[in-house]
Amino acid sequence: MAEISQGGGGGHHGEGKVRTKKLSTRVDLTPMVDLAFLLITFFMLTTTLKKPQAMELNMPKEEKIDEDKQEIADCQVMHIILDTLDRVMYYEGLELKDWKKSSYSPEDEVGIRKTILNKQKAVSAGCLTREGKPKDLVVLIKLLKGANYNNMVTILDEMDITDTKVYAIQKPDSMEVFAAKVFAESIYKQ
Amino acid sequence: MPAIKIPRKSTIIDMTAMCDVSFLLLTFFILTAKFNDEQSVIIDVPAARSEIKIDEPLLLSVDKEGKVYFTAPKGAMRTKTLDKLIERYGEKYPQLKELNDVQKAKFLDIEMVGFPIENLPEVLNFTKEQMTSFKKSMPGIPMDTIQNQLGAWLMAGRYADPEQRIAIKGDKISNIDAVQDVIKTLTRNDVHRFNLITTLEGANR
Repeated sequence: MAEISQGGGGGHHGEGKVRTKKLSTRVDLTPMVDLAFLLITFFMLTTTLKKPQAMELNMPKEEKIDEDKQEIADCQVMHIILDTLDRVMYYEGLELKDWKKSSYSPEDEVGIRKTILNKQKAVSAGCLTREGKPKDLVVLIKLLKGANYNNMVTILDEMDITDTKVYAIQKPDSMEVFAAKVFAESIYKQ
Repeated sequence: MPAIKIPRKSTIIDMTAMCDVSFLLLTFFILTAKFNDEQSVIIDVPAARSEIKIDEPLLLSVDKEGKVYFTAPKGAMRTKTLDKLIERYGEKYPQLKELNDVQKAKFLDIEMVGFPIENLPEVLNFTKEQMTSFKKSMPGIPMDTIQNQLGAWLMAGRYADPEQRIAIKGDKISNIDAVQDVIKTLTRNDVHRFNLITTLEGANR
């Protein structure tokens, strides 16, 4: 394809003048284009986007927590407890009873996502304010000492996915720490 | 009747224009690309659905062992952070006041601060080789109750640019207690809104 044709030594014919053959100056650029596009493709495919992804988290002011304490009804609360061994448990209501085991799997019937969605339905159906409006579900997330960060993010992500508006991360009190030990033993033994 | 003559046309297309365009694109992509700095501390972030993108925040990283690191955005912001740190905490850490301009300029290359403020002059005197080996074994920023140096860095960053977003980058398996200490430091310093760095990869949706 290249347009340059070398004058293959087309030398001296007889005694005539030395003639230089006219060379075309056109260069075929096709291979060069190929190369350029190859490089572009390579760079595009090997680059990773730098901007990190993030989820947003709002924490309350420390000294204001007590002032802001809202009255929450027994029927609208759900506690989620994360423990050290990647396990997750929950109980409904304000009283420390009826602990159930759960899982992080979204498909699992007793998984945390289905549980939250069911609870949401139950709250909006059966937990009404004095004016008769349904209340919001309140999820309290308790992180036991030594739980890992991945699980916390997973649970916060579930809050986002299930569209739970009211949730809080709390330090478990000593009763809960104790209860968690006892319940976890009995729940996970079966 | 003469047959209709179809004029013979050359099939060669002039590629010059296309070549120009493709190289222009290539140059553009190469010049606009920003290179990632080599990461001295590897942090495997957890996955989540959220898709908020943030550009160069004040980064507080927590690694597997619970060590805490501070990263200020590159360039002018980093210099300013150090200046503010000297300005506000110079009394508390007299070592800061002894820093000379060469050392300050060298601070620009420190991607992650993971050592006590007291060691700053020493670290800034390191040669390149010393720095590389040091980066792999940084002790983390001390965060005890007597002197919370992470808070100092954080405030320096905040004074340098109050608009700057703040993000926590924690490793999947890092202990929650370390992360909660960082969060506590944030709320103590009146930062109530911040981000957690996550990845979309393998997120369950």
